[in-house]
Amino acid sequence: MKILVCLKQIPDPEVAPRDFRLDENNLIADPASAGLVTNIFCENALETALQLKEAAGGEITVLTFGPAEAEDVLRKALAVRADHAVHVINPGLLHPGSSGAACVLSAAIRKLGSFDLLMFGREAGDWGEGQTAGLVAEHLGLPFVAFVDSLQTTESGLHIVGQTDSGREELTAAGPVVVSITNSDANVPRIPKTRDIMMAHRRDITTWSLEDIDLTEDLVREAAGSVEVTELFIPEKDTTCEFITGDSADERIDAFARRIVDVIGSI
Amino acid sequence: MSTTASDARSDAARSNAARSDAVVPGTGFTRAHELFRESVRKFVDQEINPYVDEWEEAEMFPAHEVFRKAGDLGFLGLSYPEEYGGMGADYWYNIALSEELARINGGSIPMAMGVQTDMATPALNAHGSHELKERFLAPAISGEAVCSIAVTEPGAGSDVAAIRTTAVRDGDHYVINGTKLYITNAVQADWICVLARTSPEGGYRGMSLIIVPTDTPGFAVTKKLKKLGNWASDTAELAFDNCRVPVENRIGEEGMGFIYQMEQFQNERLVSSAGCAAGADKILKMTIEYCRGRETFGKPLIENQWIHFRLSELIAETEFLRQMCYHCVRKMEAGQDFTREASMAKLKAGRLAREVADTCMQFHGGMGYMEEYPLARYYRDSRLWSIGAGADEVMLGIIAKFEGIAPGR
Repeated sequence: MKILVCLKQIPDPEVAPRDFRLDENNLIADPASAGLVTNIFCENALETALQLKEAAGGEITVLTFGPAEAEDVLRKALAVRADHAVHVINPGLLHPGSSGAACVLSAAIRKLGSFDLLMFGREAGDWGEGQTAGLVAEHLGLPFVAFVDSLQTTESGLHIVGQTDSGREELTAAGPVVVSITNSDANVPRIPKTRDIMMAHRRDITTWSLEDIDLTEDLVREAAGSVEVTELFIPEKDTTCEFITGDSADERIDAFARRIVDVIGSI
Repeated sequence: MSTTASDARSDAARSNAARSDAVVPGTGFTRAHELFRESVRKFVDQEINPYVDEWEEAEMFPAHEVFRKAGDLGFLGLSYPEEYGGMGADYWYNIALSEELARINGGSIPMAMGVQTDMATPALNAHGSHELKERFLAPAISGEAVCSIAVTEPGAGSDVAAIRTTAVRDGDHYVINGTKLYITNAVQADWICVLARTSPEGGYRGMSLIIVPTDTPGFAVTKKLKKLGNWASDTAELAFDNCRVPVENRIGEEGMGFIYQMEQFQNERLVSSAGCAAGADKILKMTIEYCRGRETFGKPLIENQWIHFRLSELIAETEFLRQMCYHCVRKMEAGQDFTREASMAKLKAGRLAREVADTCMQFHGGMGYMEEYPLARYYRDSRLWSIGAGADEVMLGIIAKFEGIAPGR
């Protein structure tokens, strides 16, 4: 089975709030204020892919679109034994968004050839749009299943289990299919081993410019154009403490329930 | 402005080349070391820190289980040859490991791992026979075996020359008799590297390092010792009563045990100093956070000049210690002797840890004194830095000799 996993590098969500800053001129997170890490849901997707490969064989290609620093997410993927890594360099586009990223990733995937399974994280921890996987499926004319937390190969194809608002859905797909992976107890990312880390940093990474995949900055900007970032700010947290009173426990419970309804109604 | 494909490719090539350079100026840390750090950090967060309180309470941690996991990730043989399961890595990996293990909430596990990687096995790696390494080094690297080193005795600590445990040749065996004291990992160890007298010569000559499997008849853990700190790490008193081990279990040449032991001291002192600097850094950061949030007399504690000046001073000293450790690695890489600098680092590490523990305890007030808060454990555990792996006074003696100010004998 040929598996493609798309990875995104994001500012570390674990950064201390005190240290996090915005670049207000460019409307982005200040790159100096937080370390860069692989988006956790992308790591869940890669872990799922590694388990599929271990169970059924095949090979895994990891792909990212990002600045030079994004090489780190590919090295880390190679350190858990992904087979191939491809880096499309972002020449400095500040807000490619899901639409721009999907345009770039689709073009790169076309150049890479066919895959049986294309995997994404369900959303990125920076902007949280959760659109890229679906948009890539649209670009490539492939079926798409969102919020998948379990995948198995069967004789009739891939058995896919996903989360829905009302429960779970089970599907069988022949492939190729695009899936976005959510986290579960079964896909906690493994820890890279020392030897694999050392080997990963000796491996070749295929590096492409936008032109290498028949795109230009203007084309990506145009694809990203449906979304414009007009304002970016850190929301101020306000905590107030309120005591619910009443003569008896029942009264206090009633008052508490009414207060919750009021609060929800005011949001 | 748009870029051409060749521009972008050459930019990319430049970027990739730059990313393989050192990420911390003046050190050998690269992106690979940073990813290695991330692995150690995850190991600590997932496999150690959630259980440390329980292990401290039990005064024992499951060494075999923890070491197998650490060994599987390649943490127990970073500098050792690949032939025996080691990584053949440069020494910056050892420093990174030591710095990241300092994130563990307590000194027990880093100490136990340090005994395995930097005290019980270096002489075996450097001077042991191939068969001995296959039998004892390889399982120590993989984490299948827990090991320990036994030097100290009731009458011989820093004064190693006073060792009285004997290993008398009897045909193809040594017959070992004596007592060893304060031996880390010994309760759970599968084998112990024992320094014993193999000839009646006095002083530093006549001692050999011999590997004793702990299932050998005549070997006994006579007492599990209670300690001020590092509770989760087991420490024992050992007895050897006509304990017979094959001559092949001797490391290297007979009579060279003390010399082999001395050879490994520098690395041991270096990694422990690097861990000490990282541990002090962690405690200082924790104290800064506390002093920012804790208000007294209408303002945060941190705004008191005494407090932020004192913390600044300790941060500066911690940075000096860290940089001294990096200086030692650079000398090591250049093939130069760094005994003087490693001794200085170890001396400073012990004293700084005591100062940081005491100052941060004072700034935390009653909260720091509570057992549920990590500072109380650090206060207890860190006291060992000035005693273990060569006491402060031993370091001072070495420095005095290097400086030519020690009286001649």
